[in-house]
Amino acid sequence: MGSVAGIGDLRDKVENINALPTIPGVLKRLLGVIENPRVSLNEISNFVSNDPALTTKVLKMVNSPVYGFPGRISSVNQAVILLGLSVVKGLLLGVSVFDLMQKTMIGLWEHSLGCAIIARLIAEKKGLKEPEEASIDGLLHDIGKVLLILRFPDKYEKAMHDADINGMGIYEAERLHYGTTHASVGSWMAQKWRFPQKLVDVIEHHHKPHLSKSAPVESAIVHLSDILVRARGFGFAGDHTLMAVNPKSWQMLGLSEADLRDVLWTFEESLEMTEDLAL
Amino acid sequence: MPKTTPDKLKPGMKLLRPVTNRGGMVLLGEGTELTAALIEKIRDMDADSIFVQGISPPSTSKEEALSDLDRRFKSAEGKPYMDVIKKALREHIEGLYG
Repeated sequence: MGSVAGIGDLRDKVENINALPTIPGVLKRLLGVIENPRVSLNEISNFVSNDPALTTKVLKMVNSPVYGFPGRISSVNQAVILLGLSVVKGLLLGVSVFDLMQKTMIGLWEHSLGCAIIARLIAEKKGLKEPEEASIDGLLHDIGKVLLILRFPDKYEKAMHDADINGMGIYEAERLHYGTTHASVGSWMAQKWRFPQKLVDVIEHHHKPHLSKSAPVESAIVHLSDILVRARGFGFAGDHTLMAVNPKSWQMLGLSEADLRDVLWTFEESLEMTEDLAL
Repeated sequence: MPKTTPDKLKPGMKLLRPVTNRGGMVLLGEGTELTAALIEKIRDMDADSIFVQGISPPSTSKEEALSDLDRRFKSAEGKPYMDVIKKALREHIEGLYG
C-alpha cells in the first residue's frame, strides 16, 4: 500500500462503498439521491419526509445549537428552504452515516457535533456570510474516518491501536496503514457526492489548512475547531494526541483571547442542549 | 444548566430561550429574569423543559479536569500559539466551576 496503484485501488473501494452488504437500504437510497446531479430541493424534502425516523433526526439537528435557528424550524420543507441544498445534503449524510460506526470509534459523533458548533461560532465571529456552511464543514470533516472504518474495519482498529501505543496522531497512523489519510478519503467522497468545492477543500485540508486554495478561511476555522474540541476533552476522534495549530492559519483568523473565551463559553451552553442529538 | 424542568427554576435565573405556549406564541422573551411570580406562571403552564442561561458544574473535580487538560496538551507543548490556546482553555475550565 502507498504506491500510486495502491491508492487508486483504495479509492475505488471506498467510492463503491454503496455495494457493501453492511450498508442499510435506506442509506443506499439516500446516497443515490445525494449523488444525483440534478436532484431538486423538492426531491430531497420528499425523500426525508417519507421517512419518519430521518425526519425526526433532521428536525432535531436543525433546531439544535449546531445551527442558528433554535426551536424555530417545524418542517423539513422549511429546513430545506432556510438552509439550502448543500447544507441539507450534508446534514442528511451526517445523521445517517455516523450511525453505522458508533461502536468502532465511540465519540466521533460527539467530536463532529462539537466541531460543527465551534466552527459556526468562529464563522459568526469572523462575519462569514453563511455560518451554517461552517457547521456542515465541521460536521463532515472527519467523514473519511467513517468511510475507512466501514470499508476496512480491522485495519482501522490496528491503526487506532498503533496511534495509541506509539503516542502518534491517527492521521499519521492512517498514512502508515493505508498510504493516505481520512482527509483525502473524505474529500474523494465529498466530490463523488457532489458537495461544493469549498467543502471538498476543507475536508482535504483540515490538518493542513495553509495548503487550501479555494477555502483557506473555512479550512482554518475547521482546523482550529478540531483542536478546540479535543483540547476541551469533548468526544473522541481516534487518538489522544492534540495536533498543534498551524501558525499561518491561526494568524489569519486573528482571534483574540476574549474571542476564544466567548466561543468556548457559548459552546458550553450549546452542548447542554445537544444531549438529545445522540444517534 | 440550560435545559431544566419548571420545578428547578429559581428567582434570578434568566431565560436562554423564550417560553412559548403550545401554539408557539412567545409568553416570556429570551433574557427575561425570572421572579417568583413568573416561575409560578411557568409551573402552571405544565411545560416539560425550560432553557435558562448558565452552565451546570462538571461531574469531575476541578483538579482532575485541569490535570486532564495538561495531559491533553502534552503532545503540543512548545508549539507556536498553543500556549495561548491552553491558557484560554484553562481559564475556561476554571470558569465552569464558578
